Amino acid sequence: MSEAAATGLKLPPKVSGEKPGVGHMEAFSVNFARFLMDCEAECGELAEYNMAGQQTVLMSGPEAQEAFLKGLDKKLSRAAAYQATVPVFGEGVIFDAPPERMKTQLKIQVDALRYQNMKNYAAIIAKEVDDWVAQWGDEGEMDFLDEFIQLTLHTACHCLLGADFRYKMTDEFKRLYHDLEKGLQAIAFVDPYLQQPVFEARDKARRRLQELISGIIAERRANADKAYGDALETFMSGTYADGSHLTDNEITGLVIATMFAGHHTSSGTAAWTAVELARQPEYTAEVLAELQALFGDGQELTFESLREVPKLEAFIEEVLRLHPPLVLLMRRVIEDIDYKGTLIEAGKTVAISTYGSHRNPVYFPDPERFDAHREKADTKEKMWAYIPFGGGPHKCAGNAFALMQLKSIFAALLPKYEFFLVDAPDSYVDDLSAMVLKPSSPCRLRYRRRR
Amino acid sequence: MAMKVTVDIDLCQGHSVCLGECPEVFDVVDSDEGYPQVVVLLEHPGEELREKVEKAAQYCPNHVITIEED
Repeated sequence: MSEAAATGLKLPPKVSGEKPGVGHMEAFSVNFARFLMDCEAECGELAEYNMAGQQTVLMSGPEAQEAFLKGLDKKLSRAAAYQATVPVFGEGVIFDAPPERMKTQLKIQVDALRYQNMKNYAAIIAKEVDDWVAQWGDEGEMDFLDEFIQLTLHTACHCLLGADFRYKMTDEFKRLYHDLEKGLQAIAFVDPYLQQPVFEARDKARRRLQELISGIIAERRANADKAYGDALETFMSGTYADGSHLTDNEITGLVIATMFAGHHTSSGTAAWTAVELARQPEYTAEVLAELQALFGDGQELTFESLREVPKLEAFIEEVLRLHPPLVLLMRRVIEDIDYKGTLIEAGKTVAISTYGSHRNPVYFPDPERFDAHREKADTKEKMWAYIPFGGGPHKCAGNAFALMQLKSIFAALLPKYEFFLVDAPDSYVDDLSAMVLKPSSPCRLRYRRRR
Repeated sequence: MAMKVTVDIDLCQGHSVCLGECPEVFDVVDSDEGYPQVVVLLEHPGEELREKVEKAAQYCPNHVITIEED
Protein backbone atom coordinates (compact mmCIF):
# COMPACT_ATOMS: atom_id res chain seq x y z
CA MET A 1 0.00 0.00 0.00
CA SER A 2 1.37 3.38 -0.93
CA GLU A 3 2.09 5.99 1.68
CA ALA A 4 -0.61 8.25 0.28
CA ALA A 5 -3.26 5.55 0.56
CA ALA A 6 -2.11 4.75 4.10
CA THR A 7 -2.61 8.34 5.20
CA GLY A 8 -5.82 8.81 3.22
CA LEU A 9 -4.19 11.55 1.14
CA LYS A 10 -4.31 11.97 -2.62
CA LEU A 11 -1.22 12.33 -4.80
CA PRO A 12 -0.74 15.35 -7.10
CA PRO A 13 -2.10 14.87 -10.65
CA LYS A 14 0.59 14.12 -13.22
CA VAL A 15 1.24 16.10 -16.37
CA SER A 16 0.77 14.05 -19.57
CA GLY A 17 3.39 13.48 -22.24
CA GLU A 18 6.14 12.01 -20.07
CA LYS A 19 8.89 10.23 -22.01
CA PRO A 20 11.08 7.39 -20.71
CA GLY A 21 14.34 8.57 -19.15
CA VAL A 22 13.98 12.28 -19.77
CA GLY A 23 10.44 12.83 -18.52
CA HIS A 24 9.27 16.29 -19.59
CA MET A 25 12.76 17.67 -20.16
CA GLU A 26 12.20 18.27 -23.90
CA ALA A 27 8.96 20.25 -23.57
CA PHE A 28 10.53 22.14 -20.67
CA SER A 29 13.61 23.07 -22.71
CA VAL A 30 11.65 24.50 -25.65
CA ASN A 31 10.00 27.23 -23.54
CA PHE A 32 9.75 26.51 -19.85
CA ALA A 33 7.46 29.43 -19.04
CA ARG A 34 4.91 28.13 -21.54
CA PHE A 35 5.42 24.54 -20.41
CA LEU A 36 4.61 25.53 -16.82
CA MET A 37 1.46 27.37 -17.94
CA ASP A 38 0.37 24.26 -19.82
CA CYS A 39 0.98 22.16 -16.69
CA GLU A 40 -1.34 24.39 -14.68
CA ALA A 41 -3.95 24.45 -17.46
CA GLU A 42 -3.98 20.65 -17.55
CA CYS A 43 -3.79 19.78 -13.83
CA GLY A 44 -4.74 22.87 -11.81
CA GLU A 45 -3.31 24.02 -8.50
CA LEU A 46 -0.85 21.13 -8.22
CA ALA A 47 0.80 19.59 -11.29
CA GLU A 48 3.55 17.01 -11.14
CA TYR A 49 6.11 16.79 -13.92
CA ASN A 50 9.36 14.90 -14.32
CA MET A 51 12.71 16.58 -14.93
CA ALA A 52 14.96 13.71 -16.01
CA GLY A 53 14.02 11.75 -12.91
CA GLN A 54 13.44 14.60 -10.48
CA GLN A 55 9.71 14.66 -9.72
CA THR A 56 8.62 18.28 -9.50
CA VAL A 57 5.27 19.61 -8.29
CA LEU A 58 4.27 22.98 -9.71
CA MET A 59 2.19 24.94 -7.20
CA SER A 60 -0.10 27.53 -8.84
CA GLY A 61 -2.41 30.24 -7.57
CA PRO A 62 -2.04 32.65 -4.64
CA GLU A 63 -2.83 30.13 -1.89
CA ALA A 64 -0.35 27.50 -3.08
CA GLN A 65 2.26 30.15 -3.82
CA GLU A 66 1.88 31.59 -0.34
CA ALA A 67 2.42 28.12 1.15
CA PHE A 68 5.54 27.72 -1.02
CA LEU A 69 7.00 31.14 -0.28
CA LYS A 70 6.34 31.01 3.45
CA GLY A 71 8.06 27.62 3.73
CA LEU A 72 11.16 27.68 5.89
CA ASP A 73 14.44 26.10 4.84
CA LYS A 74 14.16 23.15 7.20
CA LYS A 75 10.96 22.03 5.46
CA LEU A 76 11.34 23.44 1.94
CA SER A 77 15.03 23.65 1.25
CA ARG A 78 16.49 26.21 -1.11
CA ALA A 79 19.93 24.71 -0.61
CA ALA A 80 18.96 21.27 -1.92
CA ALA A 81 17.18 22.79 -4.94
CA TYR A 82 20.01 25.13 -5.91
CA GLN A 83 23.08 22.86 -5.70
CA ALA A 84 24.05 23.98 -9.21
CA THR A 85 25.23 27.23 -7.63
CA VAL A 86 27.77 25.50 -5.37
CA PRO A 87 30.73 25.34 -7.79
CA VAL A 88 29.94 28.92 -8.89
CA PHE A 89 29.59 30.57 -5.47
CA GLY A 90 32.21 28.26 -3.94
CA GLU A 91 32.45 25.43 -1.43
CA GLY A 92 31.09 26.28 1.98
CA VAL A 93 29.24 29.30 0.62
CA ILE A 94 25.47 29.88 1.03
CA PHE A 95 23.73 26.74 -0.30
CA ASP A 96 26.77 24.60 0.52
CA ALA A 97 27.22 25.94 4.06
CA PRO A 98 25.80 24.29 7.20
CA PRO A 99 22.39 25.87 8.03
CA GLU A 100 23.67 28.22 10.75
CA ARG A 101 26.55 29.53 8.65
CA MET A 102 24.31 29.91 5.62
CA LYS A 103 21.91 32.01 7.69
CA THR A 104 24.72 34.29 8.85
CA GLN A 105 26.11 34.65 5.33
CA LEU A 106 22.69 35.61 3.99
CA LYS A 107 22.22 38.05 6.88
CA ILE A 108 25.53 39.71 6.01
CA GLN A 109 24.45 39.86 2.38
CA VAL A 110 21.21 41.61 3.41
CA ASP A 111 23.24 43.95 5.65
CA ALA A 112 25.03 45.20 2.53
CA LEU A 113 21.65 46.15 1.05
CA ARG A 114 20.33 48.05 4.02
CA TYR A 115 19.28 51.67 4.23
CA GLN A 116 22.70 52.99 5.24
CA ASN A 117 24.49 51.61 2.16
CA MET A 118 21.60 52.33 -0.20
CA LYS A 119 22.25 56.06 -0.09
CA ASN A 120 25.78 55.50 -1.39
CA TYR A 121 24.53 53.12 -4.04
CA ALA A 122 21.99 55.67 -5.28
CA ALA A 123 24.79 58.22 -5.78
CA ILE A 124 26.97 55.63 -7.56
CA ILE A 125 24.18 54.63 -9.93
CA ALA A 126 23.32 58.25 -10.78
CA LYS A 127 26.98 58.87 -11.64
CA GLU A 128 27.32 55.73 -13.75
CA VAL A 129 24.19 56.64 -15.73
CA ASP A 130 25.44 60.21 -16.25
CA ASP A 131 28.80 59.00 -17.53
CA TRP A 132 27.09 56.59 -19.90
CA VAL A 133 24.61 59.11 -21.29
CA ALA A 134 27.36 61.69 -21.78
CA GLN A 135 28.55 59.62 -24.76
CA TRP A 136 25.20 59.47 -26.53
CA GLY A 137 25.09 62.63 -28.65
CA ASP A 138 21.82 63.96 -30.10
CA GLU A 139 20.56 60.77 -31.63
CA GLY A 140 21.51 57.23 -32.45
CA GLU A 141 20.64 53.56 -32.37
CA MET A 142 21.86 50.94 -29.92
CA ASP A 143 21.15 47.44 -28.73
CA PHE A 144 19.77 48.30 -25.32
CA LEU A 145 20.12 44.82 -23.88
CA ASP A 146 23.87 44.90 -24.56
CA GLU A 147 24.04 48.44 -23.19
CA PHE A 148 22.20 47.58 -20.00
CA ILE A 149 24.28 44.45 -19.43
CA GLN A 150 27.33 46.70 -19.53
CA LEU A 151 25.80 49.47 -17.38
CA THR A 152 24.54 47.12 -14.66
CA LEU A 153 27.86 45.27 -14.59
CA HIS A 154 29.47 48.63 -13.88
CA THR A 155 26.96 49.62 -11.20
CA ALA A 156 27.10 46.16 -9.59
CA CYS A 157 30.92 46.14 -9.45
CA HIS A 158 31.02 49.73 -8.24
CA CYS A 159 28.52 49.12 -5.42
CA LEU A 160 29.98 45.73 -4.48
CA LEU A 161 33.71 46.14 -4.85
CA GLY A 162 34.25 49.90 -4.81
CA ALA A 163 35.34 52.66 -7.19
CA ASP A 164 38.96 51.46 -7.45
CA PHE A 165 37.99 48.06 -8.72
CA ARG A 166 35.27 49.42 -10.99
CA TYR A 167 37.54 51.87 -12.82
CA LYS A 168 40.36 49.36 -13.12
CA MET A 169 38.01 46.61 -14.28
CA THR A 170 39.92 44.46 -16.71
CA ASP A 171 38.90 42.34 -19.66
CA GLU A 172 40.18 39.43 -17.63
CA PHE A 173 37.55 40.07 -14.96
CA LYS A 174 34.79 40.22 -17.57
CA ARG A 175 36.01 36.97 -19.09
CA LEU A 176 36.10 35.20 -15.72
CA TYR A 177 32.65 36.43 -14.88
CA HIS A 178 31.38 35.22 -18.24
CA ASP A 179 32.91 31.77 -17.66
CA LEU A 180 31.16 31.57 -14.30
CA GLU A 181 27.86 32.55 -15.90
CA LYS A 182 28.14 29.80 -18.47
CA GLY A 183 28.61 27.36 -15.61
CA LEU A 184 25.04 27.97 -14.47
CA GLN A 185 23.12 26.68 -17.47
CA ALA A 186 20.19 24.23 -17.38
CA ILE A 187 22.38 21.10 -17.47
CA ALA A 188 24.05 22.24 -14.23
CA PHE A 189 20.71 21.78 -12.47
CA VAL A 190 20.83 18.10 -13.42
CA ASP A 191 24.50 17.59 -12.46
CA PRO A 192 26.94 20.47 -11.96
CA TYR A 193 29.95 18.12 -11.75
CA LEU A 194 29.82 16.50 -15.21
CA GLN A 195 33.13 16.32 -17.08
CA GLN A 196 32.53 19.17 -19.51
CA PRO A 197 34.68 22.02 -20.83
CA VAL A 198 32.20 24.66 -19.60
CA PHE A 199 32.43 23.32 -16.06
CA GLU A 200 36.24 23.17 -16.19
CA ALA A 201 36.27 26.80 -17.33
CA ARG A 202 33.85 27.62 -14.52
CA ASP A 203 36.12 26.10 -11.86
CA LYS A 204 39.21 27.81 -13.25
CA ALA A 205 37.40 31.15 -13.31
CA ARG A 206 36.20 30.70 -9.72
CA ARG A 207 39.78 30.09 -8.50
CA ARG A 208 41.22 33.07 -10.37
CA LEU A 209 38.42 35.38 -9.23
CA GLN A 210 39.22 34.53 -5.65
CA GLU A 211 42.85 35.53 -6.23
CA LEU A 212 41.71 38.89 -7.58
CA ILE A 213 39.28 39.57 -4.74
CA SER A 214 41.75 38.34 -2.12
CA GLY A 215 44.11 40.98 -3.48
CA ILE A 216 41.59 43.74 -2.78
CA ILE A 217 40.81 42.30 0.65
CA ALA A 218 44.49 42.23 1.59
CA GLU A 219 44.95 45.80 0.41
CA ARG A 220 41.96 46.95 2.47
CA ARG A 221 43.12 45.08 5.58
CA ALA A 222 46.42 46.94 5.26
CA ASN A 223 44.53 50.27 5.14
CA ALA A 224 42.01 49.48 7.87
CA ASP A 225 41.12 53.10 8.67
CA LYS A 226 39.67 53.88 5.25
CA ALA A 227 35.87 53.81 4.72
CA TYR A 228 34.39 52.56 1.45
CA GLY A 229 30.60 52.39 1.89
CA ASP A 230 30.38 49.42 -0.47
CA ALA A 231 29.23 45.84 -0.04
CA LEU A 232 32.76 44.42 0.27
CA GLU A 233 33.26 46.54 3.37
CA THR A 234 30.08 45.05 4.88
CA PHE A 235 31.12 41.51 3.92
CA MET A 236 34.58 42.00 5.47
CA SER A 237 33.22 43.35 8.75
CA GLY A 238 30.48 40.74 9.23
CA THR A 239 30.98 38.05 11.87
CA TYR A 240 29.65 34.63 12.80
CA ALA A 241 28.13 33.98 16.24
CA ASP A 242 31.59 33.03 17.60
CA GLY A 243 33.04 36.37 16.48
CA SER A 244 35.07 35.01 13.58
CA HIS A 245 35.07 36.79 10.23
CA LEU A 246 34.22 35.40 6.81
CA THR A 247 37.09 33.77 4.94
CA ASP A 248 38.33 35.12 1.59
CA ASN A 249 36.58 32.18 -0.04
CA GLU A 250 33.28 33.08 1.62
CA ILE A 251 33.61 36.78 0.81
CA THR A 252 34.39 35.95 -2.83
CA GLY A 253 31.35 33.67 -2.83
CA LEU A 254 29.08 36.39 -1.48
CA VAL A 255 30.37 38.83 -4.10
CA ILE A 256 29.63 36.31 -6.86
CA ALA A 257 26.23 35.38 -5.40
CA THR A 258 25.22 39.02 -5.16
CA MET A 259 26.37 39.71 -8.74
CA PHE A 260 24.45 36.70 -10.00
CA ALA A 261 21.29 37.66 -8.13
CA GLY A 262 21.37 41.25 -9.27
CA HIS A 263 23.08 41.62 -12.61
CA HIS A 264 21.07 39.97 -15.38
CA THR A 265 17.83 40.32 -13.49
CA SER A 266 18.44 44.09 -13.58
CA SER A 267 19.77 44.34 -17.13
CA GLY A 268 16.89 42.27 -18.53
CA THR A 269 14.29 44.33 -16.68
CA ALA A 270 15.94 47.61 -17.68
CA ALA A 271 16.00 46.53 -21.33
CA TRP A 272 12.33 45.52 -21.18
CA THR A 273 11.46 48.83 -19.53
CA ALA A 274 13.18 50.72 -22.37
CA VAL A 275 11.34 48.65 -24.98
CA GLU A 276 7.96 49.17 -23.30
CA LEU A 277 8.61 52.92 -22.96
CA ALA A 278 9.11 53.02 -26.73
CA ARG A 279 6.13 50.72 -27.37
CA GLN A 280 3.56 52.29 -24.98
CA PRO A 281 3.58 56.03 -25.84
CA GLU A 282 0.40 56.86 -23.86
CA TYR A 283 1.73 55.60 -20.56
CA THR A 284 5.17 56.94 -21.35
CA ALA A 285 3.76 60.47 -21.72
CA GLU A 286 2.39 60.26 -18.17
CA VAL A 287 5.69 59.03 -16.78
CA LEU A 288 7.55 61.79 -18.58
CA ALA A 289 5.18 64.46 -17.24
CA GLU A 290 5.70 63.15 -13.72
CA LEU A 291 9.48 63.15 -14.07
CA GLN A 292 9.48 66.66 -15.49
CA ALA A 293 7.36 67.87 -12.58
CA LEU A 294 9.53 66.14 -9.98
CA PHE A 295 13.00 66.65 -11.39
CA GLY A 296 12.52 69.42 -13.94
CA ASP A 297 14.32 71.99 -11.84
CA GLY A 298 17.51 69.96 -11.94
CA GLN A 299 16.92 68.21 -8.64
CA GLU A 300 19.44 65.44 -8.08
CA LEU A 301 18.52 61.78 -8.27
CA THR A 302 19.12 60.52 -4.75
CA PHE A 303 17.79 57.76 -2.54
CA GLU A 304 15.35 60.27 -1.01
CA SER A 305 14.23 62.00 -4.19
CA LEU A 306 13.63 58.63 -5.90
CA ARG A 307 11.54 57.18 -3.10
CA GLU A 308 8.24 58.34 -4.51
CA VAL A 309 7.78 58.35 -8.29
CA PRO A 310 4.34 56.70 -8.60
CA LYS A 311 3.79 56.71 -12.37
CA LEU A 312 7.28 55.40 -13.08
CA GLU A 313 6.88 52.81 -10.33
CA ALA A 314 3.55 51.63 -11.75
CA PHE A 315 5.13 51.39 -15.20
CA ILE A 316 8.05 49.31 -13.89
CA GLU A 317 5.67 47.10 -11.89
CA GLU A 318 3.79 46.33 -15.08
CA VAL A 319 7.07 45.52 -16.85
CA LEU A 320 7.90 43.13 -14.00
CA ARG A 321 4.46 41.54 -14.23
CA LEU A 322 4.74 40.71 -17.94
CA HIS A 323 8.47 40.02 -17.93
CA PRO A 324 9.48 38.69 -14.48
CA PRO A 325 13.25 38.08 -14.65
CA LEU A 326 13.11 34.89 -12.58
CA VAL A 327 10.36 32.70 -13.98
CA LEU A 328 10.84 29.56 -11.95
CA LEU A 329 11.53 29.30 -8.21
CA MET A 330 12.29 25.93 -6.66
CA ARG A 331 12.58 24.21 -3.27
CA ARG A 332 13.31 20.61 -2.28
CA VAL A 333 10.74 18.99 0.02
CA ILE A 334 12.49 17.83 3.21
CA GLU A 335 9.43 16.65 5.19
CA ASP A 336 6.22 15.28 3.64
CA ILE A 337 3.66 18.03 3.04
CA ASP A 338 -0.10 17.64 3.36
CA TYR A 339 -1.36 20.38 1.07
CA LYS A 340 -5.15 20.53 1.44
CA GLY A 341 -5.44 16.73 1.39
CA THR A 342 -2.75 16.05 -1.19
CA LEU A 343 0.55 14.49 -0.19
CA ILE A 344 3.75 16.00 -1.58
CA GLU A 345 6.43 13.57 -0.56
CA ALA A 346 9.87 14.36 0.81
CA GLY A 347 12.52 14.22 -1.92
CA LYS A 348 10.32 15.81 -4.56
CA THR A 349 10.93 19.33 -5.80
CA VAL A 350 8.22 21.97 -5.56
CA ALA A 351 8.18 24.93 -7.92
CA ILE A 352 6.24 28.11 -8.62
CA SER A 353 6.11 30.13 -11.83
CA THR A 354 6.04 33.91 -11.53
CA TYR A 355 5.38 34.14 -15.27
CA GLY A 356 2.27 31.97 -15.08
CA SER A 357 1.00 33.60 -11.92
CA HIS A 358 1.28 37.06 -13.47
CA ARG A 359 -0.89 35.91 -16.37
CA ASN A 360 -3.75 34.61 -14.24
CA PRO A 361 -6.81 36.42 -15.67
CA VAL A 362 -8.60 36.28 -12.31
CA TYR A 363 -6.11 38.75 -10.88
CA PHE A 364 -4.86 40.37 -14.09
CA PRO A 365 -7.72 40.72 -16.60
CA ASP A 366 -6.63 40.61 -20.24
CA PRO A 367 -3.22 39.48 -18.96
CA GLU A 368 -1.14 39.82 -22.14
CA ARG A 369 -2.03 43.51 -22.46
CA PHE A 370 0.44 46.05 -21.07
CA ASP A 371 -1.59 48.25 -18.71
CA ALA A 372 0.27 50.52 -16.34
CA HIS A 373 -3.06 51.48 -14.71
CA ARG A 374 -3.79 48.09 -13.18
CA GLU A 375 -5.00 48.18 -9.60
CA LYS A 376 -2.32 47.81 -6.96
CA ALA A 377 -2.08 44.50 -5.14
CA ASP A 378 -4.43 45.57 -2.36
CA THR A 379 -5.78 42.19 -1.27
CA LYS A 380 -3.85 39.34 0.32
CA GLU A 381 -4.67 37.07 -2.60
CA LYS A 382 -3.42 39.54 -5.15
CA MET A 383 -0.26 40.07 -3.12
CA TRP A 384 0.59 36.38 -3.45
CA ALA A 385 -0.35 36.45 -7.15
CA TYR A 386 2.05 39.30 -7.97
CA ILE A 387 5.46 37.93 -7.02
CA PRO A 388 8.26 39.34 -9.21
CA PHE A 389 10.59 39.25 -6.17
CA GLY A 390 9.06 36.15 -4.58
CA GLY A 391 7.73 36.88 -1.10
CA GLY A 392 7.73 35.78 2.50
CA PRO A 393 10.84 35.30 4.63
CA HIS A 394 13.11 34.56 1.66
CA LYS A 395 11.89 37.36 -0.58
CA CYS A 396 14.59 38.82 -2.83
CA ALA A 397 16.73 40.93 -0.53
CA GLY A 398 17.75 43.11 -3.45
CA ASN A 399 14.25 44.25 -4.34
CA ALA A 400 14.66 47.76 -2.94
CA PHE A 401 18.06 48.11 -4.64
CA ALA A 402 16.68 46.87 -7.95
CA LEU A 403 13.71 49.25 -7.97
CA MET A 404 15.87 52.18 -6.93
CA GLN A 405 18.32 51.42 -9.74
CA LEU A 406 15.58 51.13 -12.36
CA LYS A 407 13.97 54.38 -11.21
CA SER A 408 17.32 56.14 -11.23
CA ILE A 409 18.12 54.99 -14.78
CA PHE A 410 14.81 56.04 -16.31
CA ALA A 411 14.40 59.23 -14.30
CA ALA A 412 17.72 60.24 -15.88
CA LEU A 413 17.06 58.97 -19.42
CA LEU A 414 13.45 59.75 -20.18
CA PRO A 415 13.44 63.55 -19.70
CA LYS A 416 16.57 63.79 -21.89
CA TYR A 417 15.72 61.41 -24.71
CA GLU A 418 12.82 60.02 -26.66
CA PHE A 419 12.90 56.32 -27.57
CA PHE A 420 11.61 54.55 -30.69
CA LEU A 421 11.36 50.92 -31.74
CA VAL A 422 13.62 49.99 -34.66
CA ASP A 423 11.93 46.68 -35.47
CA ALA A 424 8.27 45.64 -35.66
CA PRO A 425 6.53 46.02 -32.27
CA ASP A 426 5.66 42.31 -32.08
CA SER A 427 9.24 41.24 -32.78
CA TYR A 428 10.34 42.17 -29.25
CA VAL A 429 9.52 39.00 -27.28
CA ASP A 430 10.65 37.20 -24.14
CA ASP A 431 13.85 35.18 -24.53
CA LEU A 432 13.91 32.22 -22.14
CA SER A 433 17.00 30.47 -23.44
CA ALA A 434 18.94 31.38 -20.29
CA MET A 435 17.80 31.06 -16.69
CA VAL A 436 16.98 34.78 -16.51
CA LEU A 437 14.29 36.20 -18.78
CA LYS A 438 15.31 39.00 -21.13
CA PRO A 439 14.11 40.63 -24.36
CA SER A 440 15.04 38.75 -27.54
CA SER A 441 18.04 39.84 -29.61
CA PRO A 442 18.46 42.19 -31.31
CA CYS A 443 16.96 44.63 -28.84
CA ARG A 444 17.42 47.75 -30.96
CA LEU A 445 16.01 51.14 -30.08
CA ARG A 446 16.55 54.55 -31.61
CA TYR A 447 16.90 57.58 -29.36
CA ARG A 448 16.65 61.30 -30.01
CA ARG A 449 17.40 64.18 -27.67
CA ARG A 450 14.31 66.08 -26.54
CA ARG A 451 14.17 69.80 -27.31
CA MET B 1 -9.00 58.04 16.99
CA ALA B 2 -5.49 56.95 17.69
CA MET B 3 -2.99 55.28 15.44
CA LYS B 4 -2.00 51.72 16.18
CA VAL B 5 1.15 50.39 14.52
CA THR B 6 1.55 46.66 13.91
CA VAL B 7 4.13 44.65 11.98
CA ASP B 8 4.07 41.23 10.31
CA ILE B 9 7.42 40.08 11.62
CA ASP B 10 7.46 37.01 9.34
CA LEU B 11 7.90 39.28 6.34
CA CYS B 12 10.65 41.51 7.78
CA GLN B 13 14.18 41.24 6.37
CA GLY B 14 15.65 44.16 8.27
CA HIS B 15 16.01 46.57 5.35
CA SER B 16 15.76 49.39 7.95
CA VAL B 17 13.88 51.84 5.76
CA CYS B 18 11.39 52.38 8.64
CA LEU B 19 14.23 53.21 10.98
CA GLY B 20 15.47 55.79 8.49
CA GLU B 21 12.00 57.32 8.08
CA CYS B 22 10.85 57.31 11.67
CA PRO B 23 13.38 56.36 14.37
CA GLU B 24 10.94 57.55 17.06
CA VAL B 25 8.67 54.56 16.36
CA PHE B 26 10.88 51.90 14.78
CA ASP B 27 14.14 50.23 15.62
CA VAL B 28 15.93 47.33 13.95
CA VAL B 29 17.67 44.86 16.25
CA ASP B 30 19.01 41.32 16.01
CA SER B 31 16.17 38.86 16.60
CA ASP B 32 16.53 35.55 18.47
CA GLU B 33 17.29 33.97 15.11
CA GLY B 34 20.24 36.32 14.63
CA TYR B 35 18.59 38.31 11.82
CA PRO B 36 18.07 42.05 12.17
CA GLN B 37 14.34 42.74 12.33
CA VAL B 38 12.02 45.58 13.14
CA VAL B 39 10.71 46.30 16.64
CA VAL B 40 7.96 48.82 17.30
CA LEU B 41 9.03 51.22 20.05
CA LEU B 42 5.73 53.10 20.21
CA GLU B 43 2.62 51.11 19.41
CA HIS B 44 0.42 54.21 19.73
CA PRO B 45 2.49 57.11 18.40
CA GLY B 46 1.13 60.66 18.65
CA GLU B 47 -0.52 62.46 15.72
CA GLU B 48 2.61 64.53 15.16
CA LEU B 49 4.36 61.37 13.97
CA ARG B 50 1.60 60.27 11.60
CA GLU B 51 3.25 61.47 8.43
CA LYS B 52 6.58 59.83 9.25
CA VAL B 53 4.93 56.54 10.24
CA GLU B 54 2.91 56.52 7.03
CA LYS B 55 6.08 57.03 5.00
CA ALA B 56 7.76 54.17 6.84
CA ALA B 57 4.80 51.91 6.02
CA GLN B 58 4.67 53.05 2.42
CA TYR B 59 8.38 52.70 1.64
CA CYS B 60 8.95 49.41 3.49
CA PRO B 61 10.15 47.11 0.68
CA ASN B 62 8.28 44.15 2.16
CA HIS B 63 5.06 45.89 3.28
CA VAL B 64 5.55 44.72 6.84
CA ILE B 65 3.92 47.68 8.59
CA THR B 66 0.18 48.22 9.06
CA ILE B 67 -1.43 51.33 10.54
CA GLU B 68 -4.80 50.84 12.14
CA GLU B 69 -7.11 53.30 13.86
CA ASP B 70 -8.49 52.34 17.23
